[in-house]
Amino acid sequence: MAFLEIDRLHKRYGATEILKGIDLDLDQGGFLVLVGPSGCGKSTLLNTIAGLEQITGGEIRLEGRKINDLHPSRRDIAMVFQSYALYPTMSIKDNIGFGLEMRKVPKAEREAAIARVAKTLQIEHLLQRRPSQLSGGQRQRVAMGRALVRNPRLFLFDEPLSNLDAKLRVDMRTEIKRLHQQTGTTIVYVTHDQIEAMTLATKIAVLKDGKLQQVGTPAEIYNRPDNLFVADFMGSPSMNLMAGTVRASGNGAMIQLAQREGSIALQIPPSVTARDLPPEKKVIFGIRPEAITDIDGADRHASQLQTIEGRVDVIEPAGSDTYVVTQLGGKEVIARMRAEASLKVGDLVPFAFNLDKALLFDPETGYRL
Amino acid sequence: MSVDAGSAAISARGPRIIIYGLLILFAVFYLLPLYVMLVTSLKPLSEIQSGNMLQLPQAPSFYAWEKAWGAACIGVTCEGLKGFFWNSIRMVVPAVTISTILGALNGYVLTKWKFRGHKLIFGLMLFGCFIPFQVVLVPMAQVLGRLGLASSTPGLVLVHIVYGLGFTTLFFRNFYVAFPDELVRAAMMDGAGFFRIFWRILLPASLPIIVVTVIYQFTNIWNDFLFGASFTSGDAAPMTVALNNLVSSSTGVKEYNVDMAAALIAALPTLLVYVVAGRYFVRGLMAGAVKG
Ligand SMILES: Nc1ncnc2c1ncn2[C@@H]1O[C@H](COP(=O)(O)OP(=O)(O)OP(=O)(O)O)[C@@H](O)[C@H]1O
Ligand SMILES: [Mg+2]
Repeated sequence: MAFLEIDRLHKRYGATEILKGIDLDLDQGGFLVLVGPSGCGKSTLLNTIAGLEQITGGEIRLEGRKINDLHPSRRDIAMVFQSYALYPTMSIKDNIGFGLEMRKVPKAEREAAIARVAKTLQIEHLLQRRPSQLSGGQRQRVAMGRALVRNPRLFLFDEPLSNLDAKLRVDMRTEIKRLHQQTGTTIVYVTHDQIEAMTLATKIAVLKDGKLQQVGTPAEIYNRPDNLFVADFMGSPSMNLMAGTVRASGNGAMIQLAQREGSIALQIPPSVTARDLPPEKKVIFGIRPEAITDIDGADRHASQLQTIEGRVDVIEPAGSDTYVVTQLGGKEVIARMRAEASLKVGDLVPFAFNLDKALLFDPETGYRL
Repeated sequence: MSVDAGSAAISARGPRIIIYGLLILFAVFYLLPLYVMLVTSLKPLSEIQSGNMLQLPQAPSFYAWEKAWGAACIGVTCEGLKGFFWNSIRMVVPAVTISTILGALNGYVLTKWKFRGHKLIFGLMLFGCFIPFQVVLVPMAQVLGRLGLASSTPGLVLVHIVYGLGFTTLFFRNFYVAFPDELVRAAMMDGAGFFRIFWRILLPASLPIIVVTVIYQFTNIWNDFLFGASFTSGDAAPMTVALNNLVSSSTGVKEYNVDMAAALIAALPTLLVYVVAGRYFVRGLMAGAVKG
């Protein structure tokens, strides 16, 4: 039995169904990240766990107990809101202590708890101020402090970093991760930033239009996306997805991809589990930019490496690496080469494909083959 | 460059002088009656009958004020306005307090605890704001009679609360609509209930709108004549009704100085409320337009 269990959860507003049967579970101490495009129902799912939204069907259990019908204040769940939602007329100290006060924790105990949390988050010097007198990052800390101080069974975060600038976001991300490792709390975290999802999660759930697309560890989601949506959504730059065709060849089958002039044939990636790939079947060949490199930069441990020639269309140096754009399967394909690789636009250069990391999808269903 | 700046300053000064001139003119125009009332109330009767209305009093005295407060004849008794002044206070304080509190609660519920039909309820309350006083007189009198509150201060308080509720609800609803829902949700998760959230989260942030509502209600209720005249009688009448009786009871010579003093006494509390809270009034009306 998992710590948090969500069972066939449905939520509708009037006639529109927002969550269409969500099944999820999370072990104690886990860090579940919900990702998905805007409007897919992430906040709604989080709010139903918090009890801020009623559900229309299914069940939510925490430590084996059904909590669907429990009022938010009785669920022992804390939430950090996107807008931080600090009480504007109270001091920071009172903001943090409010939840304890409502739960009738004696004053001395409360003060001790506030002091402890303030120390952890390094906001001791801000305790007497008002929220309006803090910077964005400080407010963010206070919002986390308010959740932490109550020591709840479950933490919910709704895009807590989306209002911060890029630098601060990275810092706070690290901080949240550290906090999670230190305190071993159980967290459900919503974001539409897939880097946040990858770095923080022990488990990622990808949501689209109110339906779960895939649930798994960050590595599973990244390396073995179940369908085209997940493949495209996770990762930056995103996975190269090229239209190709299965062709019969001497010892089995190959995937033929159109180039600007002519075409190339790639071996079937070892990841493919489908038994029969009938000749002439249309497929989508997926491979991440870091699995297409220059020859010297290729992974030595790759069991199946194939080199093809391609013309360099665009070069984008990114400091540590250089992104090289070429064309394959009628689409722009991004490769990640070493910064040292000497390249010129218009050159015909070898691209090393690490087929261990390549995937095939069925263009009709979108599922991985 | 400097020439340009100079001429610009001059050309800006021209309209400015006109604007300020006009403003001062209108201010004087509106203040003139108050001035006349004030000087008249300080003059003895002989000076009023002989002299110029605008002239300053030669021998200023508070005789008229004292008489208006404690000795002027209203109806058959000659004890001045003071009893009626307290009637008005006894009416206005509970009426303003209760209608403001109820308005705040209504606004809170209508924005943060929406229920099926909340729009309809609010619409009906708004509609109530537009019902003219005269229309409700007879049914109201009947209701007060049934309740046993006819011709009493509590009855009048009830009338003002009911009549003011539409306005106070409107004020608070529009204020709370802009209040972030996430704060309410956060407080809910922190374990606060309906009244705690209201008391600890919303109310402390509501000072501007409370001031607006209190001023509005205070002025309306204090200055009301129709309800006072309709639903009270004799000693229970509020200040406005007594003032009318004082001015219109014509036994002997007309004492203009006493009338003026009485009118000023009647206007004093509203003036006071504006002076004390006026700053917040303007701020409250602007609240929401500028994000604080
Ligand atoms: N009160 C409501 N009534 C009707 N529809 C709603 C309501 N609240 C949300 N929705 C709809 O539910 C869907 C999911 O909303 P939700 O806020 O959960 O999205 P999200 O995944 O959090 O998006 P974002 O990343 O933009 O925050 C949206 O299409 C939204 O329009
Ligand atoms: Mg959201």
